[in-house]
Amino acid sequence: MVESNGARNSQPLLEVEDLEKHFPITRGVIFQKEIGRVQAVDGVSFTVNKGETLGVVGESGCGKSTMARCIMRLLDSTGGKIVFDGKDITNLSGKDLLRVRRDLMMVFQDPYASLNPHKRVGAIIGEALQVHKIGNATENRRRVQELLEVVGLNPEHYNRFPHEFSGGQRQRIGVARALAIQPKLIVCDEPVSALDVSVQAQILNLLKRLQREFDLTYVFIAHDLDVVRHISDRVAVMYLGKIVELGTGEDLYQRPLHPYAGALLSAVPIPNPNVARARKPIVLEGDVPSPINPPSACRFHPRCPRFQPGRCDVDEPQLELHGGEHQVACHFPLETWPMADLSLPAAGSAAASSS
Amino acid sequence: MLLLDVRDLKTHFRTDDGVVRAVDGVSFQVEKGKTLAIVGESGCGKSVTCMTIMGLNSPRNSVITGEAIFKDRDLLKLPSEELRKVRGKEISMIFQDPMTSLNPVYTIGNQLIEAVRLHEKVGKQAASRRALEMLKAVSIPRAETRLEDYPHQFSGGMRQRVMIAMALINNPDLLIADEPTTALDVTTQAQILKLMNELQRDFGSAIILVTHDLGVVAETADDVLVMYAAKPAEEGSYSEIFYQPEHPYTWGLLSSLPRLAAQGSDLKPIPGTPPSLLNPPSGCRFHLRCGYSFDRCVSEVPEYVGVESGSEHQVACHLEHDFRLTESKRLIGDMMAEV
Repeated sequence: MVESNGARNSQPLLEVEDLEKHFPITRGVIFQKEIGRVQAVDGVSFTVNKGETLGVVGESGCGKSTMARCIMRLLDSTGGKIVFDGKDITNLSGKDLLRVRRDLMMVFQDPYASLNPHKRVGAIIGEALQVHKIGNATENRRRVQELLEVVGLNPEHYNRFPHEFSGGQRQRIGVARALAIQPKLIVCDEPVSALDVSVQAQILNLLKRLQREFDLTYVFIAHDLDVVRHISDRVAVMYLGKIVELGTGEDLYQRPLHPYAGALLSAVPIPNPNVARARKPIVLEGDVPSPINPPSACRFHPRCPRFQPGRCDVDEPQLELHGGEHQVACHFPLETWPMADLSLPAAGSAAASSS
Repeated sequence: MLLLDVRDLKTHFRTDDGVVRAVDGVSFQVEKGKTLAIVGESGCGKSVTCMTIMGLNSPRNSVITGEAIFKDRDLLKLPSEELRKVRGKEISMIFQDPMTSLNPVYTIGNQLIEAVRLHEKVGKQAASRRALEMLKAVSIPRAETRLEDYPHQFSGGMRQRVMIAMALINNPDLLIADEPTTALDVTTQAQILKLMNELQRDFGSAIILVTHDLGVVAETADDVLVMYAAKPAEEGSYSEIFYQPEHPYTWGLLSSLPRLAAQGSDLKPIPGTPPSLLNPPSGCRFHLRCGYSFDRCVSEVPEYVGVESGSEHQVACHLEHDFRLTESKRLIGDMMAEV
């Protein structure tokens, strides 16, 4: 949490403003006609301060990976602004973009698919050094061996191929690769989802140690709420391309305000049987709607236990401050936690009929 | 009442690299109407155990020994025709991936009806009615029209519901669920777990739940079997496993969970990685990663016995029972108090 990063100053490293990424759906072969849009990310704003970890949680298809790819400039956004280290990088290209990429790195989800099986580990880790023309061959070799040691691997394994390593070791290679050019920001997209718990814990500890040692800033994307809470200073909850709640780990996990955040939290299995069996989880009905044709106004309203007709389906709630740094986009945020009573204090009939 | 009694089950696969001992002496029992969870990390043999019980391993490359007594019959020695009558009727299975375990070229109605008619002489109409009832029981909206739909027209959570409907349509005594919620999002997972609990209550089926998620175990299991490197490490009731575990591997699994770690502190992972089953370590298979190992752990395989004489809480560890109790209290007690 907060105390884990002494350097947590409020100097922003990454500012994202109204970021939007729509993928067109086309029909026809020669004359392609746009017949719809997948609104994968739709108006997302947040800042990440130097030295902190911003966690992003949400279910599959909520746009968290698309957002990460936009920040990395692996995808061109269709709207909004990305400011990195005081510089607008939204529309950079060519040499300017390459220069920015020295400070931006990524760790991917699947340690089996994200390492080139034909290349030796040394070449994989050292590739970024070559791309950015840093150092000569001997220096780079030494640097790579140093990195292997930093992430807890044997420096002599420099010449091995990825298949000779286990999943956890491969993810360490992925982390070493991200560290090679000493970036300022590392975007981790589900870095531990494919790993077993005992190994997952090793990688989480490694990421935390590296953050302290190298003064790194992370955007940490995962669907596992416990993992995100453990590593993050602040956490954003996404639903269907939008951030619905953003706050410190403490805020969000002890006092969630958005009904979706509440439902998500209460759906996480607790590894303590007596606690788990005593609580009453809020089980959401139905599935996440399609981002092609998202529900009007508040996108959560068809599944929301506190839905108020005439308000939630007409008027879109904006992300607003609710004391301190805690932001929420909801007309009827939760008053209490755990959600003992889901109905609204004054209303009743309308809210009750939907549950 | 005892429903399934598995004794010293071994499944060895012949491969080009040598014999892989995927399951190497596993024993457990499943009571009628209860849920047994099998937990462990990938490659520990939990899925292979289930596949073996169901007779789904290819006899060409596997050698199976031991017993799996289900209602006075040894499933492992049943001729394949007999076994086919048991599968899908008395024992059914749900697989991990709802995307690949349904046949994409048949409507789900078709697949459900097939499951009924394979085991019972009923007309198409009657079978179709059963299919519809089952879809309603697993809360699929507009069940009447959805019978005509193909698997790709369903979302992941809905497909898993169809799988559950298919598994339960013949009212089995035992349901084997192999990571039934691993591919699903948490809110969908909560729906499916709730559904499985309700159906178990209504139909009285026993469940073997295979999972790597201790949270899911805590929510649903009556008994828990912890496996490590193809062998059972510990088995007990859920309260014994979560509040008084006696195997260092179980301690390690619980300590690795971010949920149970104190805020702001580092996690306590198990060092190293699970061993290869081609060439498992000597003695106790966990000794390379265990903080407590001593000479005996390297040379001698620990016996899998009750923690005290007569106890159903079983563990395979050379440490003294009293020492294990103290350590368990020290390591796990506080952790559980803080959740």
